[in-house]
Amino acid sequence: MMPRGYINDLGAERLEQTSEQFLGKGTKKLVVNFTDVQYINTIGVSIFTGIVQKALDYNSQLCFTNMKKVHREVFEMVGLIKHVKVFKDEEAALTYLNERGRHDE
Amino acid sequence: MSFSALPETDFFGRGEELAGLSRRVLRADKDVAQSAVLSGPLGIGKTELLKQLFGYLFWRQDRVVPFYYTVNSALLSAAAFSKDYLTRYLCQRLAFEKKEQSLFYLEGLSIDGLSALVEEREAVWAREILDRFIRSSGDPLDAMRVAVSAPYQSALATGMPAAVLIDEFHRLKDLHIGDTRDPRLVSLFEAPMSFRKTPHIITGSAAEIHEMPVSRGLERVSVPPLGPEDAASRALSLFRASEAGGTAPLHVLSRLGGNPFYIACVLRRACEKKDPSEIDFRKAYAREVLEGPLALSWSSVLKSHFPGPGLRRIALTLAHKIHHTNEPLSCQRIAKSLSLTDDQAEATAHALHLAGFVRGEFGVFRAVEDGVLRDVIDFLYRRELLGKSSHDLEEELLNNLLPEKEGVVRFDMILPMVKEAELVAAQCLDQIGKNLNLNQDAVGQLQIAVIEACINAIEHGKGTEKKIYVSVASDGDRLEVSIESAGREFVVQESGEPFGDREGIKAPGRGWGIKLMKRFVDEVRFEKTARGMKTVLVKNLAKTAGVQKEDRTGRE
Repeated sequence: MMPRGYINDLGAERLEQTSEQFLGKGTKKLVVNFTDVQYINTIGVSIFTGIVQKALDYNSQLCFTNMKKVHREVFEMVGLIKHVKVFKDEEAALTYLNERGRHDE
Repeated sequence: MSFSALPETDFFGRGEELAGLSRRVLRADKDVAQSAVLSGPLGIGKTELLKQLFGYLFWRQDRVVPFYYTVNSALLSAAAFSKDYLTRYLCQRLAFEKKEQSLFYLEGLSIDGLSALVEEREAVWAREILDRFIRSSGDPLDAMRVAVSAPYQSALATGMPAAVLIDEFHRLKDLHIGDTRDPRLVSLFEAPMSFRKTPHIITGSAAEIHEMPVSRGLERVSVPPLGPEDAASRALSLFRASEAGGTAPLHVLSRLGGNPFYIACVLRRACEKKDPSEIDFRKAYAREVLEGPLALSWSSVLKSHFPGPGLRRIALTLAHKIHHTNEPLSCQRIAKSLSLTDDQAEATAHALHLAGFVRGEFGVFRAVEDGVLRDVIDFLYRRELLGKSSHDLEEELLNNLLPEKEGVVRFDMILPMVKEAELVAAQCLDQIGKNLNLNQDAVGQLQIAVIEACINAIEHGKGTEKKIYVSVASDGDRLEVSIESAGREFVVQESGEPFGDREGIKAPGRGWGIKLMKRFVDEVRFEKTARGMKTVLVKNLAKTAGVQKEDRTGRE
């Protein structure tokens, strides 16, 4: 998933709906690429909390990639980072998820 | 020069106005002079201009007789005013013939004494006017008609025009016969004012004069504030007069807005010290706004228009509101926001307009451009209605007057309270960071904090002014952003934590905003302001640069 621009209520809600669709179809690995995220506010962050919670409920792995330092700090502050894996880029996230998949098999 | 006018050498920045007025009244000898009212705020120097005009006309020309009169509040019965006006006119008219300054000072001259003087000078024209006055003394209206038309009658009889200069003319609205105010009395000025051989130049509260029956024939002549150079020259002359050393700091002088009365009040107080420093000037300003002649002059105007405590409270609340709203207010809006009836709102706003506290045009009211008056109103409002201590208010004034640090770059913007307005502030901050070559990480963190502060301002905004005032200032070491709106308080001042029971923070994610601000900037302040609430975010750039440097060193 690649959210764009300003992650506020609307932006995050769209992301939440998309993630729910994937999780509902049984997707076990989700990658959120923050490359195009320009700004984020606490309303957006709080909706992310719901996404993380749902991923945990569905026993799926959620990865964040390409995060700006300041955005990572925001997620750290609200305690979300400990529930997700953060990678430098998508490639690193996919490598991790594939290896983990093989390990799980 | 008489009448306590300034020495000419200390009369700065009014050359153009003085020359214009002289030309105006000297046209009386060609029967084309027109009467005028000098218009300008309290303290701007209308009275002084009139005195200087009198001095010029008295000493430097022989074509037009000058007559200077200040309306005395204690002499507003028709009989007392008529006698005083006529006596002074005849004395000054006779004084002009031989430039006898001593005749100005014949205070309390009786009608018999005046008759003797007129006889002694063999002034037949004056004898006739005086006789007419004595004959009409049984009827105050007739007596007053004779008195106010004396310059006109003397001009007819002698051919010598007269320039009538009347200060505090608005007081004449209270002219009375017995205990009853009679508007017919002041309208007696209408005829002599329209006569081209007797131009009248009057001053006083322009708003009140505008409502008097004489205003139709008067041209309005504005007296503007002194420019920076003339204000500095005036300050310098006050320094010399008080034998103090040094100069007035520019930031204090500019606060006084070129108003000669304000300049004199603050400079005189500061110069009570031999060599006043910058802080002495700020203290002098604060003391003047709190309790000096400057404050007293505005207080007395307020008291004369709003004598009772109840009316005064409403007036101060309204004046404060108008001075902190950036757009004109209609009576309906005033009534709604202050829970008044339309009539109460109209009466209060109109009286404030007459008092010179606000401007009133086309049915709406707005602030006058006078920062000192705004400080006086703020002080009175916050002390009398909010119960703040004078000491705290003085401290605030002192801090507000601090000079801006050199090298500070400042950007101000006004955002409408619309969805995602916070992004405009964030984007501007980004560009400001690039322009000033600021640390990008620091700007990024500050952007997050500014977004939260703007969202708070939008969520907690109230009232009709749906605007957010954002100010960004950087001196290279610090980046300070203030976000102000007409919002209610959303934090407990003592703890700086958000209120726990407010609707706003029950929304998902709200309540983290302030924590996030505190995490990302070095200082967060919440200030209750006249407008509402202000959030101030300070980021120390030097510290951020240092941390970055350490980070890089660590990585290397």
